[in-house]
Amino acid sequence: MFDEKKLNAQQFSTLRDIHSGKIFSVHRELRLFLYIGILLIIAGAGLTIKQYFANIGDVAIISTLTLCFIGAFSYCFIKGFSFSTEEVVSPNIAFDYILFFGCAFFSMDIAYIETQFHLLGNSWKSYLLISSALFLLLAYRFDNRLVLSMALSTLAAWFGFTLSEYRLSFEKYYREYAIIYGIVVLLLGHLFQRLDIKKHFFDIYLNFAVHFLCIALISGIFEYKIFSLYFPSLLLGCAALVFYSIKVRKFLYMLYAVIYGYIGISIVTVETILRKTFLMFTYFIVTSLLVIASILIISRKFREDE
Amino acid sequence: MNLCLYSSQQEENIYIRKQARTWQHSGLITNEQLAAMYPFAGINLRQTNIFFRVIFFVFTCLCVSAVLGLFFWITKIRSEMVVSFTLIITGAIIYALAEYTVNRHHLYRYGIEEALAVSSVVLFCMGIYMGIVKLLDGRPADFDTLLCLLYTLTALWIYLRFGFLYAAFMSIVAICVIPFQQSMTPSGERLCLLILLCLILGFIVISDKPADEDFKKEKNAILQAFLLAAIYLTVNLQIITLPVSMLPAAGIFQNYPKSFPPYIYWASYVLTFILPVAGIYEGIKYRKRLILNLSLVMACVTMATNKIYLGWTRYAWDPAILGIMLVILSMSINKWLNSGENQSRYGFTAKDILKPESHGISLTEVAAALTPAATGLDVQQSPSEKGKYFDGGASGGGGTSRNF
Repeated sequence: MFDEKKLNAQQFSTLRDIHSGKIFSVHRELRLFLYIGILLIIAGAGLTIKQYFANIGDVAIISTLTLCFIGAFSYCFIKGFSFSTEEVVSPNIAFDYILFFGCAFFSMDIAYIETQFHLLGNSWKSYLLISSALFLLLAYRFDNRLVLSMALSTLAAWFGFTLSEYRLSFEKYYREYAIIYGIVVLLLGHLFQRLDIKKHFFDIYLNFAVHFLCIALISGIFEYKIFSLYFPSLLLGCAALVFYSIKVRKFLYMLYAVIYGYIGISIVTVETILRKTFLMFTYFIVTSLLVIASILIISRKFREDE
Repeated sequence: MNLCLYSSQQEENIYIRKQARTWQHSGLITNEQLAAMYPFAGINLRQTNIFFRVIFFVFTCLCVSAVLGLFFWITKIRSEMVVSFTLIITGAIIYALAEYTVNRHHLYRYGIEEALAVSSVVLFCMGIYMGIVKLLDGRPADFDTLLCLLYTLTALWIYLRFGFLYAAFMSIVAICVIPFQQSMTPSGERLCLLILLCLILGFIVISDKPADEDFKKEKNAILQAFLLAAIYLTVNLQIITLPVSMLPAAGIFQNYPKSFPPYIYWASYVLTFILPVAGIYEGIKYRKRLILNLSLVMACVTMATNKIYLGWTRYAWDPAILGIMLVILSMSINKWLNSGENQSRYGFTAKDILKPESHGISLTEVAAALTPAATGLDVQQSPSEKGKYFDGGASGGGGTSRNF
C-alpha cells in the first residue's frame, strides 16, 4: 500500500514500528494496574474501618475520609479541563481514577457518619439519592464513565436493590421498582442525548436500563405467564432493541434482545406445552433454527468487522 | 503437516485484517485506507461479529440438544449399549456437519461450526465412555481417566483441525485432571501436574519459531500465557486460601497447604516469585503483551499470598498497601516513560497508541458499579425494617447502611 501511495511515509513508519514491536505501548497496562490499585485501596480502607472503627475513633476516621475525598475532588477541579458537552480527554493517566477514588471515599464517609450518628434517622436513604446526584454531576463535569456507573448503581440502591441480600424470588414490589428504575434511567439517558450532552454516555444508561427492565419483565412473565402486560412489554422492548442495534450497529443489544426475548417467549410456550414432550423438543428445534436463520439474514447485511 | 481446515494464508490475512481494524479504531489509518487494505488480504471466508457468534453458538447447541432429546424420546432407547452407539454415531454426524459448514459455506469463527464441533466432542466421548463402562462391566468412576484422555485427544483434534483456541484449553484442562484421579498424595498430584504442564509449555515454546507467521505467533503466545497461568496455579499452594478465607468453610482449605512436606512448601514459595519474574522478562524481551500482563497479575497474587506463606498476621489494610504500591509503581513507570525522548524508552511508551474497540460498556465500568458493595458496608437491618421497599443500599455507589 505504501508503494501504491495509499499510505504516507509517516503512517507507514508508525505502523511498521508498532507491528515489529519497536514501539510498544503500555498505556492500557498502566491504566489497568492503576485501576486495580485504586480498587484495592478502597477495599482495604473499607475493611479497615469495618474491623477497627472502635479502636481508631470517629474523629480520625471521618477526618481521614473527608480529607481524602476533598483532596481528590480538589485535584480534579484544579487539574481538570473545562466542561464540554462533547467527549473530553483526561488530562493525565490517573485523573479518572482519582475522581473515582474520591467518590468511593465520599460514599464511605457518609456511610460511616450515618451509621454512627443517625443524622437523618429513618430517612437515611436520602443519602443515596444525594450521592447519586453528586456522582452524576461529577461524571458529567469530568467526563468519567466509571463515576457515571457508580451514580447509576447508587440510584439503583436508592430504589432498593442490594447485593448484600440473596433473593431467589423477585417480589412484586422489586419488579415494579426495577421497571420504574429502568424507565427513569432510560429517560435520563435519552434526555441527555437529546440535549447533546455527553452523547457517548448513552450506552451506559442503556445497559443499566435494559438489564433491569428485561429481568423485571421476565420475572413478571414467570409469575403471570401470558396473561399480563409483561409479555407484550418484553416483546416490544426486545423488538425496539433489535431495531436500535441495527440502526447504531452495536450488536451487543441484539444479543440482549435475542436472549431476553427468547427466554420470555420460551417461558410462555413451555407452560402451554409442558406435558407434551414431542412439542417441547419440536419447539426448541424450530425456534433455535428460526433464530439462527433470522440472525444469518441480518448478519449478511454487515461486514464481519461491524 | 497442516491438519487445519483453513490455509495459513487465510489465517494470516485474517490476522492482518484484525490488526488493520485496530489501527483504524485508533485513528492511525482512515476508513478509506482500511477498505483499500482489504483486497490485499483476501480470505474467501465468512466471519461475523462476536455477538452474532455467541447467538449462533448458543442456539446451535440448543438445537443439537433438542434434536438428540427428540430422537431418544421417539425411539425410546433404554439399552446403554444402544445409547452409547447412538451417541457415537450422532457425534460423528455432527462432526461431519461441522466440517461441511467450513468446506462448503466457508464459515470461520461463526458460532455454528464451533457449536457443532464442540457438541461432537462431548457426544463422541460420552458415547465411547458409556460403551466401555458397559462392555467391561465396571463402575463409571473406574474409567474417569479414560474419559479425560478421550476429551484430551478429541479436543486436541478439534484444535488442530479448526484452530479453536478454547479446544486447546479444553484439551489441557482434561489432561490436567488425570493426576487427580490416580489416588496419589497431594504432593504427587501437584508434581505430576507440574511436570505435565511444563512438558506441554516446553513443546509449545520449542515449536514457536521466529520465522512463523504472525497468527501462529499470536496463538502460541495465548497458549503459553494459558499454560503459565496453569503452572502458577499449580505452584502457588496458598492461592486457594486467598479467596475462601472469608467463607464459613475456610478452615478446610486453610489446612490444605500444611499437608505438603516442608521442602515442597518452600520450593513452591520460591517458585511463586520466580514465575512472575520470568514471565515479565519474557514479556518485555519478546514484546508478548499477554504474557507480560499475566505475569504482572501473578506478581500481585504473589504479593497477596506472601504473608499467608510466611504465616504472618494478615491485616484489614493489607489490600490498601498493595493498592498503594501498585498506584505508585504505575505512576512512576508512566512518569519515567513520558520523560524519555519522544515519550518513550527502549521502545516502550505510555502513549495511548492502540485503542480498544468499544462495545457499549466495559468490564471496568461494571466493576465501578459494584465497587461500593466490595467495601464491606453490609446492610444489617432490624427485623422491623425487613420487608420494606427500600431495604438496602450496599449495591449502590453511596453504599450507605445503618451498620458497619
